[in-house]
Amino acid sequence: MKLTRIGLVALGATLAVLVLTTSRAAAHKAKHTPEQLKVFEEIFMEQVKVGDLLFHGDEATQKKLDVRLSRTGMACAMCHPFASDVHPHEFPKFQEQIAEFATLRDMINWCIEKPNEGERIDPDSKAMKALEAYVYWSNKGSSLDPGRH
Amino acid sequence: MDENQRERDELRKELEGGGERPDRSLGVTRRVFLHRSLLAGAAGAATYGWFPLVNTLDLTLGAQAGFKFAWVSDTHLYPRDVNTRFVEKAVRAMKEVQAMGPPADFLIFGGDLAQLGDPVELDLGNDLLKEVKLKKVFIPGEHDWYLDLGAKWTKLFGQPNWTFDHKGVRFVGLDTVSRGPDYWTAKKMTPKERMGHMATLDGSVAGAWAGVGRDQLEWLNRTVSGWPKDRPIVIFSHNPLYEYYPPWNFWVRDWREVQEILKPFGSVTNVHGHTHQVLYNEIGKMRSIGMLATSWPWPYAPTGVPALTRCMTRADPGDPFDGVGWSRLAMSSAGKVENEYVMWRKDVLGEREVDSGCADNVNQILQSRVADREWPYYGAYK
Repeated sequence: MKLTRIGLVALGATLAVLVLTTSRAAAHKAKHTPEQLKVFEEIFMEQVKVGDLLFHGDEATQKKLDVRLSRTGMACAMCHPFASDVHPHEFPKFQEQIAEFATLRDMINWCIEKPNEGERIDPDSKAMKALEAYVYWSNKGSSLDPGRH
Repeated sequence: MDENQRERDELRKELEGGGERPDRSLGVTRRVFLHRSLLAGAAGAATYGWFPLVNTLDLTLGAQAGFKFAWVSDTHLYPRDVNTRFVEKAVRAMKEVQAMGPPADFLIFGGDLAQLGDPVELDLGNDLLKEVKLKKVFIPGEHDWYLDLGAKWTKLFGQPNWTFDHKGVRFVGLDTVSRGPDYWTAKKMTPKERMGHMATLDGSVAGAWAGVGRDQLEWLNRTVSGWPKDRPIVIFSHNPLYEYYPPWNFWVRDWREVQEILKPFGSVTNVHGHTHQVLYNEIGKMRSIGMLATSWPWPYAPTGVPALTRCMTRADPGDPFDGVGWSRLAMSSAGKVENEYVMWRKDVLGEREVDSGCADNVNQILQSRVADREWPYYGAYK
């Protein structure tokens, strides 16, 4: 009798796990609606625009995100129109100027600190993610070529 | 020895300093590299390895004596307390021009003296230019113009287009910046907003602003119409007089009309700024040579680099004196003009693929920016 009760509890627990797992799996397998995709795209493009503004030295956006990317008047786009010559698809790599194996975020911070004489930003900050979004979006279609000098 | 000569000698001694000396076998130095880019088409390509170095132009000067002139442009000065590096580089260029031996007959300043057209910036530039005691002529850049539509610039430097004859050569200065379509009135932009959009090379708001304009084309036509067809013309412009990359206004929109006017002449050389990079092109009998900036180098555009261009070296962003400089241009008594890029710190040309500013970018695909496509425009330098 005792064993039967334990068996029932175990069976119930197993069923509960199965039900939960199945329902979660079903959520993942649900087809994406056009509305969902539009929202995903909008969220991404909003960050691209914020990154575009930062990249072009927009004061209001820097203030809003509490960053100071330059003290020389220079903006990233002045050396990198259309985010050219940034080569996000070549990172990570040994970066000559830093003399270290570096990520794109490392290099963005180097540019902020050295040529632009600005203040380094938190690599996980909203500003960094937005800059990264703009740079990648601008170079969309470029083939991955990590490590290329 | 007069005072000027003594000053030149002292400056030259100081500026040349120690370090590497000319390699006699090549006749070039690493610090001051001659860009003999092409003798003529395929012949130039054949000599690519060892004779790459000068834009050698066959000009018919007859018995006229040779002479030199200097080009400086694109200093993009901010007020002195905002950016000292650009000031340092402009000063260096002016001192080196003044120290040329034999001296240049004149200096052409090719536009973009200021960054945002601020009278403080233009006054600063005007002060720095006083270092050069030679004859000076000026053409405007878009950064000089669009805060007050040229009021301060013309007050300091006069008419933006002009012509003069010198030792058998007709020199023409063109204004390629002031005739931009009005993108500001309907949007009720402030002068600073107007200037901000103009100052954004990869922005779309200012549109195809680079142009010569119908009235100036007529003036150009009148200016050259009486000139003998076999005599040289050198035409200075801020923008290149051909189509390189319109999205960054690396062109003038009416370049075909300019070419048409100059077509009958046997020897036309266009010397231009704006692009901040080594460029060389030929269309018909017109040759175009792109000048370095003193401020910073632009990357080569994703398309449209002329096939005759030998690309400059990849600049080191950690060295503010790399990838920038000015030019000595010499017109010899033998009838040739040579352009000598004076780039600081490094060789001018990227001889190997890994060092070339063009080859470095072959693996990138780019698209134009997005934030300035919407109204009200973002990022308008409020």
